[in-house]
Amino acid sequence: MIQVGKKAPDFTAPAYLDGEFVSVQLSEYLGKWVVLCFYPGDFTFV
Amino acid sequence: MSTDSVFVHKMWVDHELSKMVSAKTVPFPMLSDGGGNVGKIFGVYDEDAGVDVRGRFLIDPDGIVQAYEMLTPPVGRNVSETLRQIQAYQIVRESEGTQATPSGWKPGKEVLKPGPDLVGKVWKEWKVTMAFD
Repeated sequence: MIQVGKKAPDFTAPAYLDGEFVSVQLSEYLGKWVVLCFYPGDFTFV
Repeated sequence: MSTDSVFVHKMWVDHELSKMVSAKTVPFPMLSDGGGNVGKIFGVYDEDAGVDVRGRFLIDPDGIVQAYEMLTPPVGRNVSETLRQIQAYQIVRESEGTQATPSGWKPGKEVLKPGPDLVGKVWKEWKVTMAFD
């Protein structure tokens, strides 16, 4: 369960970026502000 | 991040996103959450539908979750509100907690300086109309 004011759990996930398949780890972004957005799916309507 | 594979992300960029944005792609990684494993950790995975719902987490440079929002699929987000929250949290962080942004704050509006002097005096600094644009 996520709580505000508490550490975000770290994870690694495959990703698509700039024409490449890459691997992204949340903790690589320490030192930056991060907006992590989940969404139901590509090609959905909203 | 969605439960789509990186291959589907590529197809979506090539066939639809590229027609929506002038840059033809997005400047951030599109993450794949196979099995909803990350979504489960963040509490956004809908077991019945097998997808991650519309969750948005604002994480500061120390890796602390400062804010989140969660919506069911049919309603889209307000990106301006996300940007406003980032700007507000950045002000709070840069002031090392000496400033706070009251309801309705947006860039250019007054911030509050919490402390003993402000107790019972917020009414002098902040009016209800300031909660609205």
